[in-house]
Amino acid sequence: MARQSRKKSNSKLWFLVHSWLALPIWFFVLIVCFTGMLAVVSQEIVWLANADVRASKPDDDSQRLSYQQVLDAMHKAEPELAVRFFSQPDGSHFALQASVTRADGTNALLYVNPYTGAIQGQRPDFDFEAFTRALHGWWLVPFTNGYSWGWYLVSLLGLPMLASLVTGLVVYKKFWRGFFKPVRTGHGPRIFWGDVHRLAGVWSIWFIAVIAITGTWFLIQAILADNHVTISSEPIVPVIAREQVPQTADGGPAPRIDLDQAARIASQKIPGLDISFISLPATAYSHYSMGGRGWYPLMFQTAEVNPYTRNVDSQFLLGDRSALEFVTESMRPLHTGDFGGLAIKLIWFFFGLVLTLMVFSGLLIWTKRTTQATLAALKRGERPARKRAAASPTTLEAQP
Amino acid sequence: MSQTDTLPPSGLKQLWLKWRFHLNILLILVPLGFMPKYFADASLFRGDSGLGANIVENIQVGRWTLDLAELRDEAPRAEGPAGYFKAFNAACTSCDEGVKATYLRVGKPRSLRAAGTIFFGAPARMGTSLPIPPRTRPDADIWITIEGWDGKMYQASVPLAKASPATAAWLEKQGGNK
Repeated sequence: MARQSRKKSNSKLWFLVHSWLALPIWFFVLIVCFTGMLAVVSQEIVWLANADVRASKPDDDSQRLSYQQVLDAMHKAEPELAVRFFSQPDGSHFALQASVTRADGTNALLYVNPYTGAIQGQRPDFDFEAFTRALHGWWLVPFTNGYSWGWYLVSLLGLPMLASLVTGLVVYKKFWRGFFKPVRTGHGPRIFWGDVHRLAGVWSIWFIAVIAITGTWFLIQAILADNHVTISSEPIVPVIAREQVPQTADGGPAPRIDLDQAARIASQKIPGLDISFISLPATAYSHYSMGGRGWYPLMFQTAEVNPYTRNVDSQFLLGDRSALEFVTESMRPLHTGDFGGLAIKLIWFFFGLVLTLMVFSGLLIWTKRTTQATLAALKRGERPARKRAAASPTTLEAQP
Repeated sequence: MSQTDTLPPSGLKQLWLKWRFHLNILLILVPLGFMPKYFADASLFRGDSGLGANIVENIQVGRWTLDLAELRDEAPRAEGPAGYFKAFNAACTSCDEGVKATYLRVGKPRSLRAAGTIFFGAPARMGTSLPIPPRTRPDADIWITIEGWDGKMYQASVPLAKASPATAAWLEKQGGNK
């Protein structure tokens, strides 16, 4: 008997903890979930809204141009452009992106057709992708000294999220039987939203765990960085030595290999290197830097090619990573779902929506309970009714 | 729980109970408040707001002229054990193929090997992060060195107090502490 009642009060306590986890900041949690859901598919939303970012083939048998061919086409169209960086978003339906500096000193990100090299447009001043990510990732709080406090604010939510997953599973008796429980309609909104909350909850156990754990990693990452602790084994690439930059007889710039030669050298030296981004030397002493995903799609491999000596001066491949880095570097793609094309993104988007719904339904349930609890407390007389209602609105309704 | 119910709530607790849901509003106000700053920064990095703050125009370096500006009108930022840094931009539309590299340094460099930090990027908008030792004299000059492909170096200087008044003011304060 005593054991049972203790068990019951324990579960009441768990229930209370679960109810209160997101509550005082529920709207904040809701917006963070919602913007996260949007951020996952922000690239696709822009693709739908803006024809400039699409890679349309001029005809069926068009071939993709090489990076150097694209660069040449761009220079032919706009000779004054200084191209700094090319990047191919994940998915051949996206246009190639080129970061450029114009002669007037402005920077732009241009969308370039990978089949023709035509400049299709430039990223608008309001960058939906960057904005949703900034809002979701650091609540728009600027980074001035290390990580922004907005980053801490958002990533801290990983902890109550993890706690609500655990407490939710504890209070939901035999949750593993809940996967195919129908949602009851016609018994009032409290029952309806309760059923929705539980059903959505059991199906998204894995997703909540992934998002909460990776979210907490973002917190740890910020703490490590702000305390100048690094676990990276990535080599620091020194600038090209002065002796390796040839002197020319006429006082003109030393000849450099072109983009395609650099890419070829890296591909020959590193079999299986996918080059989905490449940056041009930013100074006379800089490398061609390039990279792309390896066989393990959650991590990138990079290489630095010396434009004068044609050596691969530095590389950072999957095999160079420590076991710990495999875990920590996987955290970000696991959080954002951008490691397996559109299919994975859509799954992440869907469960992001479910998660947003969980926060919302959780709130609705709580509101109903509170109203009922408050009414019940008020009915019981004028004694300390107001205080009671305010202090423990959920205790009266703790039975699920 | 029932024990806490019967206790008279303390002032702090009452305040929490009354205001806890207003935390939501407070939290939503944060990104709203920072939104103008977010868009101003985006414009700054695109170069739409010009080269930066306190632009010093037409600095003659050899046969070239360039403009120098601090990215933001503010004191140097601490970057951990590496010390304090100040971001500068430069634009050199006259820089032709003869220019191999452009450098920035506090105090006059004795040789090309100690010319300072190198400017990255296209001549129309280059950037560098200049280390500012806290012991620097506030009346110091910053030196721009252009290294030509001909192997020669060309130099010019600007008073730090002109290029970045906030840095000079910050150094004044640092000096006062010592």
